[in-house]
Amino acid sequence: MAERLRNPPSRLRSLAVPALFIAPAGLALVLLMAVPMADAVALSFQNWNGMKPPTWVGFGNYVRLAQDATFFRALWQTVYFTVCTAVLQTILPLLIASLLNSGIRGSTVFRTLYFMPVIISLAISGLLWAMLFEPNFGPVNTVLRFVGLGGLSQLWLASPTTVMPSVILVSVWQSLGFYLVIFFAALQAVPKDLYEAATIDGANAWRRFINVTVPTIRPVIVIVVVLNTINGIKVFDQIWVMTAGGPDYASATLGTYLYSIAFGAMGASNSRLGYAAAIAIIILLLSIVVSMVQIRLGRRKDIDSQIEV
Amino acid sequence: MTTTTPAIAPISRSSRTTAVGAPWQLIFMRSLIYVILTLIVIVEAFPLLWMLLTSVKDTHEVFNTFLPTQFRWDNFPRVWTAMNFPVHLANSLYVTCLTVGLVVLLATPAAYAFARYRFPGREIVFYAFIGAMMIPPQAILIPMFQFLKSLHMLNSLTGLALSFVGGGIAFSVFLMRTFFLSLPRELGDAARIDGCNDFQVFWRVYLPLARPGIATVVIIQSLYTWNEFMFSNTFLTSPQNKTVQSAVFQAVGQYATDYTALCSGLIIALVPVVVVYLVLQRQFVSGLTAGALKG
Repeated sequence: MAERLRNPPSRLRSLAVPALFIAPAGLALVLLMAVPMADAVALSFQNWNGMKPPTWVGFGNYVRLAQDATFFRALWQTVYFTVCTAVLQTILPLLIASLLNSGIRGSTVFRTLYFMPVIISLAISGLLWAMLFEPNFGPVNTVLRFVGLGGLSQLWLASPTTVMPSVILVSVWQSLGFYLVIFFAALQAVPKDLYEAATIDGANAWRRFINVTVPTIRPVIVIVVVLNTINGIKVFDQIWVMTAGGPDYASATLGTYLYSIAFGAMGASNSRLGYAAAIAIIILLLSIVVSMVQIRLGRRKDIDSQIEV
Repeated sequence: MTTTTPAIAPISRSSRTTAVGAPWQLIFMRSLIYVILTLIVIVEAFPLLWMLLTSVKDTHEVFNTFLPTQFRWDNFPRVWTAMNFPVHLANSLYVTCLTVGLVVLLATPAAYAFARYRFPGREIVFYAFIGAMMIPPQAILIPMFQFLKSLHMLNSLTGLALSFVGGGIAFSVFLMRTFFLSLPRELGDAARIDGCNDFQVFWRVYLPLARPGIATVVIIQSLYTWNEFMFSNTFLTSPQNKTVQSAVFQAVGQYATDYTALCSGLIIALVPVVVVYLVLQRQFVSGLTAGALKG
C-alpha cells in the first residue's frame, strides 16, 4: 500500500512485473493447451480423415454418437470401470491403512512394499499382467490349479465376461499403495484421545473405525474418490496395452474407443478424426464435471490441516 | 508402542470387558492383522517376483518351473541389444529432461507472481491456469498430432516434450503457488528495503527457499513424463525414436510368447525409476501424494 502511494503510476507498474513473470508460462499454455483444445472443439463439428480438407457437419458427429451402440458400450464400460475402481481403491486402501495404523510394528516396511507397483508405469503393469493372465501357461491360472482351485481358472483378458473385472483388478493392484499412503498420513493426524474416548464408551474396533475414523478423515476420503473418478474417466494406457479394448469392444472405454477410431488398432486406416474429437469432447465434459467437484472440495480449509505430507 | 494402540488395544482405564479384553484376544488380533498385511504383500509382490524370476529363466523352462533351475543372466545383455535399449533409454531421458526443464523454467516465475503480487485480473488468469488442469490428455491428442505434424515435429522427441509442457505448466503453477504462499512475506519486504528490485527478490530470496517445492514438481513431472504412454506411442512413429514405454509395447508384437525376453525388457525399462525411487524414497512418496492432494 505504502509503495502504491509513493509511485503514482503504480497501476501500470504493478501489472508490468507480474505480467513479465507470467507471460512465458501463459504463452506456452495458450499455444500448447488452449489452441489444441479449441481445435478439438472445432474438429468435433467437422468430418475429416486427416488428408482431404475437412468439411463442416455441425452436430453431425454428436448425432451419430447418439446412435452408435459401440459408443454407448464404451461409455457404460468407462462408468463401470470408474465406479468399481473408485469404490475398491477407496475402501481397500482405507481399511489396510487402518490396520497399519493400529500400532503394529513394521508399518514403514509394509508401506514401502505396497508402494512398489505405484512407480511402475500403467503401460508396463499392463504388459506384465497380460502375461500373468495368459490362459494356458500364465501364472494366475497356474497358481489357481496349484492350490486346487483349477475350476476357477479363466480366460481372463480373452473372455468378454472376465475382461473388465481383470482390468479393474490390475488397476487396484497398481494404485493400492498410493491411496494407502494418503490415508495413512490422514489417519496419523487423527487425535488419539478420540479413540480413547470411544473405547471408554465401549466401542469395539469396527465401531471406532466407522464412528471415529471415517467422519474425521472424511475430506480425504472424498478427495481420493474424486481422484479415482478423474483417473477412471481417462483410463487408457493399461487397457490399450492389454486388450486394445477387445475382445470385440468388451473392454473398450471412451479412451480406447477414441484411439481406435483416430489411429486404428494397428496404424491409421480410414481414420475419422472429427468423430474421435467428438468422443474427446465427451471425455472432457465428464472430466470438467468431476473436476468442478474437486475444486469446490479443494477450497475447504480442513483438508490442508488434515495432511502433513 | 507395544502396549497402547489407538484402534485395537484395550485401554486399561476401562474396566468393562465388552471392549477387547483378555491378552490372548489382543495377541490373536495382532496376529490376524499381520497375516492380512502379509497376504496383501504377497498379492502385491507376486507379479513383480514372477517377472524377476522369469527374466533370468532359460527360454525352455519358462512355463515349467516357478524357480529357475539355472540363472540365465545373459537374457539381459541379449534383450539390451535386441530391443535397442540404449537408444530408447536415451530417448526417454532426453524427453524427460527437456519437459521437466521447460516446465520448471516456465512455471516457477508464474507461480511466484500468482502468490506474491496483487494485480488486476489475477483471479481470472489464475483460473485459466487451473482450468487447463481439467483437460484430459485425450482431448488434445488429435489436435496435438496435427500441430506437431504442421511443425514437422511429429516424429521428434523435442515435439513430444513440447506436447507435455502445457499440462505440466498448469499443474506445476498450481502446486508451486501453494508453496510460495507458505513462505513468509516479510523476507521479500526486508530484501526490498535493502535495495533489491522485484527480480532480485525472486531470484535471491524466494527461489532458494522454493527448492523443496521445485523438487516436488521435478519428481512428479519426471515420473509422469518417463511413464507416459499415449502421446509417445502416437507421436513417435519410427522405431529408433521410441521412448522406453512405447518400445516395450512394440516389443510385445515381436516377442509374443518369449516371456523371458519380455520380462527382462520390462525390468530394464523399470530400473531407472526404481533406482531413483530407492534413492529418493521419502521425497518420492511425499511428493506424489502432495501432488495428488493439492493438485
